Amino acid sequence: MFEVTGKMVWKGTKTGLLTTWELAKVVVPTAVIVAIFRASGFLDTLTALFAPYMGFFGLSGEAAVVLFSGYFVNLYAAAGSIMALNLTISEITICAVMLGFCHSLLVELPISQKAGSPLGYIFIIRLGCSLAVGWLLGVILP
Amino acid sequence: MNILWEGFLQGMGGLWTVACVVIPLMIVLEIAESNGLLQKLNRLLAKPFRVIGLGEDGAFPVVVAVVFGITYGSGVIINHVRAGKVTPKEARVIGTFMAIAHALIEDTIIFWVLGAPLLLLLTPRLILAYVMSYVVHKRTPNVELANGDNLKAMD
Repeated sequence: MFEVTGKMVWKGTKTGLLTTWELAKVVVPTAVIVAIFRASGFLDTLTALFAPYMGFFGLSGEAAVVLFSGYFVNLYAAAGSIMALNLTISEITICAVMLGFCHSLLVELPISQKAGSPLGYIFIIRLGCSLAVGWLLGVILP
Repeated sequence: MNILWEGFLQGMGGLWTVACVVIPLMIVLEIAESNGLLQKLNRLLAKPFRVIGLGEDGAFPVVVAVVFGITYGSGVIINHVRAGKVTPKEARVIGTFMAIAHALIEDTIIFWVLGAPLLLLLTPRLILAYVMSYVVHKRTPNVELANGDNLKAMD
């Protein structure tokens, strides 16, 4: 038996709006901060600094901002950075796949620990998968 | 001021795109959940989960984490471990799977909307989660446990 009630639609809409609001609180400020980074020239400094390492994953130096905001803050912040930067689709893809494995570490590592897995073990697995797959995609994606 | 405005508009534009996908999706998800589709999915996945050493009680936290996120999945694990439904070894397998593949719907949509292909967002996470869990399952020795509170045995 499959049924659709107005209550379900309303509850889903509420969850969706709530998610959008949570998203807004991070995405918009991040986009503004990255815009400031770019205008002030700080982005160029960062880009130059990380370009050699990012090349390993087939990424430009700018993408370091996306990876760091994803690893340490969350995926919304990474999305905000992507919106404010001019990355190619393949760069966005590589960042996205890398960040899928490893993100919001400051929040999620303690959660994993609470669920019974050692912090260091989860950290190594997640970062390891992220870097390995990032490297692989950098090699195979055009 | 111009710079701030430009960043703001860029953020809002992206946000709008995401909202157009997230809100309809949450409605669909709510309908699916209310109709017990999560339990059905759990039964459907019983066999592949058995390969990595998870019974029906062990698989449920994984399904919850994959669909809703690591926080919800962890909540279910903690309850299951406490109730003795899940062994510490299973908890380790679940923890590994969950850490790599969770909130696959929400995480995937965010980047899919920004232009990344769906298949690349989903498959590597699922495959690596499965492979790593399999390795953990094979390499962790079985520990005999008394019935009841397994949480203490994990410390």
